[in-house]
Amino acid sequence: MDYDAIVVGGGHAGIEASLALSRIGFKTLLITQNLDAIGRLSCNPAIGGLSKGNIVREVDALGGEMAHLIDHSMIQYRILNRRRGPAVQAPRAQADKFTYARLAKETLESEHNLSLFMDTVVDFLLDPTGKRLTGVITERQHTISANVVVLTTGTFMEGKIFIGEYDAPNGRLDEPSAIGLGTNLRKKGFPVGRLKTGTPARVRKSSLDFDKMEVQDGEELMMPFSFDYDSINRPQVPCYITWTNEKTHAIIRDNIHRSPLYGGKIVGTGPRYCPSIEDKVVRFPDRNRHQIFVEPEGIGTEEMYLNGISSSLPEDVQWDFVHSIEGLEHAQIMRPAYAVEYDFINPQALYPSLESKLVENLFIAGQTNGTSGYEEAACQGLMAGINAAQKLKGEPPLVLSRNEAYTGVLIDDLVTMGTKEPYRMFTSRAEYRLNLRHDSCDQRLTEKGFRVGLQSEESLSRLRQKLEKMETVKDLLRQRKLADKSAIQALKMPEVTMASLQESIPELSGFEEPIKYQVELDVKYEGYINRQERQINRFEKLESLHISQDFDYDALDGLSTEGKEKLKLVRPISVGQASRISGVRNSDIALLIVHLDRGGHRER
Amino acid sequence: MCCKHTVQNSILTPMREYVTDDIIYALATPWAQSALAVIRVSGEGCKALLATRFSRPKSLKEAGNATLVHGYLQDEAGKKIDEVVAAVYTEGHGYTLEEALEFSCHGSLAVIKEILSLFSQLGMRSAEGGEFTFRAFLHGRLDLTQAEAVQELVVSQSERSRALALGRLEGSLKERISSLKQQLMQIMAAVEVQLDYAEDELDEFVFPRTQLVDLIAQLHHLSETYQVGKLYKSGARIVLAGSTNAGKSSLFNLLLKQERSIVSPINGTTRDYIEADLSIEGIPIRLYDTAGLRESSDSVEREGIKRTERLIGQADLVVFLVDSTLMGHVPEEDERTLVVYNKSDLAKPPKGKLAISAQSGEGVDRLLHEISTRLTSGFSVSADELLIIESERQYQLLNASEEALGRALTLVDEDIPLDITAVELGEALDNLGQLTGEVTPSDILETIFSGFCVGK
Repeated sequence: MDYDAIVVGGGHAGIEASLALSRIGFKTLLITQNLDAIGRLSCNPAIGGLSKGNIVREVDALGGEMAHLIDHSMIQYRILNRRRGPAVQAPRAQADKFTYARLAKETLESEHNLSLFMDTVVDFLLDPTGKRLTGVITERQHTISANVVVLTTGTFMEGKIFIGEYDAPNGRLDEPSAIGLGTNLRKKGFPVGRLKTGTPARVRKSSLDFDKMEVQDGEELMMPFSFDYDSINRPQVPCYITWTNEKTHAIIRDNIHRSPLYGGKIVGTGPRYCPSIEDKVVRFPDRNRHQIFVEPEGIGTEEMYLNGISSSLPEDVQWDFVHSIEGLEHAQIMRPAYAVEYDFINPQALYPSLESKLVENLFIAGQTNGTSGYEEAACQGLMAGINAAQKLKGEPPLVLSRNEAYTGVLIDDLVTMGTKEPYRMFTSRAEYRLNLRHDSCDQRLTEKGFRVGLQSEESLSRLRQKLEKMETVKDLLRQRKLADKSAIQALKMPEVTMASLQESIPELSGFEEPIKYQVELDVKYEGYINRQERQINRFEKLESLHISQDFDYDALDGLSTEGKEKLKLVRPISVGQASRISGVRNSDIALLIVHLDRGGHRER
Repeated sequence: MCCKHTVQNSILTPMREYVTDDIIYALATPWAQSALAVIRVSGEGCKALLATRFSRPKSLKEAGNATLVHGYLQDEAGKKIDEVVAAVYTEGHGYTLEEALEFSCHGSLAVIKEILSLFSQLGMRSAEGGEFTFRAFLHGRLDLTQAEAVQELVVSQSERSRALALGRLEGSLKERISSLKQQLMQIMAAVEVQLDYAEDELDEFVFPRTQLVDLIAQLHHLSETYQVGKLYKSGARIVLAGSTNAGKSSLFNLLLKQERSIVSPINGTTRDYIEADLSIEGIPIRLYDTAGLRESSDSVEREGIKRTERLIGQADLVVFLVDSTLMGHVPEEDERTLVVYNKSDLAKPPKGKLAISAQSGEGVDRLLHEISTRLTSGFSVSADELLIIESERQYQLLNASEEALGRALTLVDEDIPLDITAVELGEALDNLGQLTGEVTPSDILETIFSGFCVGK
């Protein structure tokens, strides 16, 4: 074997997968079409956001890299949804896209177990059974063997971009797509489909009239995404807000027939949660304006990103509607908005480890699995890397549960239900989001990262210190009295905060803010967390009823036809997972429980 | 929010013992002498098996779905047991969605016994309680509310209760709960979109408080019907009380339209109490005729009076009869006590008071109506309500849902962050989901995407 592992693709999934494999100790090769495009922020120049910020911190707690990259490239930091409660607030940062990508490549290059190679993978090598992967074939006819392969193709597999009547075989504007792999995967029986996404135009900063826009500054204090250090301090730049208007909408409506989306040229399904401006105008005709965030793409560039008006309309129409917007009247469009359509593989064809059910030793992660977003890609890349390493070690895969990480929710959703549109994480996808707070990711995941060989002893002892300090603060609050009750009971009341307690308990000022913040939340949310805990116990009961992978659903009488078909397709690892498959009925689940209870196929 | 886990449910607890691949049979009508009885058989191969004991084997074997075959069930030797009509259901049809037969036979106990033993000799298995329903549920014929309604249908005691159970089967309860669920999902979507998107991406948020208050009221109304449902299902106890010789036994007999207690003009004839079941305007009633209340030196009678007092303590309604010719002690009317003046044919009762003559039957209709009115008076919903909750489980789930929404409303009014309010809304939705079917996070997202313009 040439390598222990090959990672195909150098995007956000490929970075995490290749770092995980090489850091755990495996000789790894990363193959990318373009070494200069590693870690590119192809769409908006920001990392984090609601539930996505949590994912970044989960990746960090497990020993991934994304948090470090954004911490050292951010040019604005904000905490979103402060007023809506700690369970849903999350950090988001604007990135300097050049710094981000440069740091990503530097980090890969600094790993001695990791090699980088520029070429395009066009096919897989299989052993004579056709069911086990042994390597890859590249465009320049290299045959490279490896024990495991992680596939992270992003939008490049048979990618095609659209700008009005114009289309081109690109994965990003003017970057050639990977032709051949998608076709070969189809031939091998992989369930390949098409999805679509889009990006807005970039305009030149000096051509914009910021006086007509609202300024949006970052927080005064930047907080790191990573748990590895307590503070970061970088210069911040503002974003701006402006709005479309009736004139903009009229231009779009008048030219809607020229959109490849409405003209039927694009067959892939786009994301409903992030519609193009033409979608918004058509679907919400009553709204007289839509918001646009004008975000810097970096330091040392004049390009500004027009967040909120992605489009696939022809460039002359884009030109007109952009110029109809306040503050953008004289905007110089540097890159046009465009839509991109690409191949994805139905993730129901994967095990929860992200290994393919069709071909052993093949792991698939990121946009290839039908997701959207850098964070969604990164957490899958990390899990695919970890599980490919587990496989190489002959150890069981690491599967995160829905109640311990958004990453667990994401992967379970994908492999159980598949997706019909680019899948993005939302807090509402998680049943137990009170438990998935971003500030406590380390408590849930650091040790798991350590056990698979990715987290350091140092991180683990840092976590222990944090937990000890939190216990000390809690003890202090238990001992002190405030009027007739203990300080910890007082803290449960809405009007009492840690800051107000500090007046009567001055010792509290000796503890770091994050420690005090977490204690405050733990105490205030205790009742709700306990209630959720009971739900979780019920949930875990079904999760713990394991179904073996070779379970013979045909031999089980009484299953509904549709249920049987879906169960055979998904091959759930537990009754809990089975119960989340659409098309599987309660009666099918009942039958499964009855059957498993009788012995036979139970595994613990 | 995922609530497909409703499988850990009462219906499923006993089924762990059930086998599903054999032929089961059971008498579907009560074990009693009657004109007709129905015996039900379900399981693959039952047609062919029973054809071997049928006078027209070919017709039975080849009968299509939903057809009737007339003939005789006969024993091994070919001796006719009974003339029957077999209703035939092929696989995928009928109640259990299995191949099934329903024999209508003569309702004599001797015939029923003989047929059941014939079936047993054929190797079929006598079904356990609820097993037909279980098979129907297993084959996806029924959802949980429907399955429960079937059980209730079987045990329902009165006409009204039966009509209610039938209504549920047709899915009217399911529709009502679905509508409540829809309304709750709209509220949830409004909240969840605030949690899924950043504040600066959305319009100013106002909690849909009016909708929540309205929904709580609707839930309350539906769960209140449980009291009514319970009354029609389990019935009420009514005690006839009053001084000796006030005519309690005459009224008792009149109501039962049969001579059951000893009616005589001598004071204190009814020394103990007698009970009987009847139905008043659809409500199953257990009626107690008691010993007259008066001081007595007779120890047997004293004991009878003691029991009367205990019965009165447990009654849902006490009908206190006053002898209009003697008057004497007249108790205060209250919620549980209905004072009725008897012997209106002999003496004029006080004006405006409820008067009857147990002898002539005069005023009894008014009394019956008054009893029914009294029994249903505490309810905020009328007994004419088309949808009535009868199962304890449904009641508890509706109640739990209502309570969670009540807590959500408090949180909203106290201006507590939305992530907590969302927990309560989720719990309410989970409880509703357990009644008719799950609500998944994707259902909520679907509602969000269809109603809100979101996304940068």
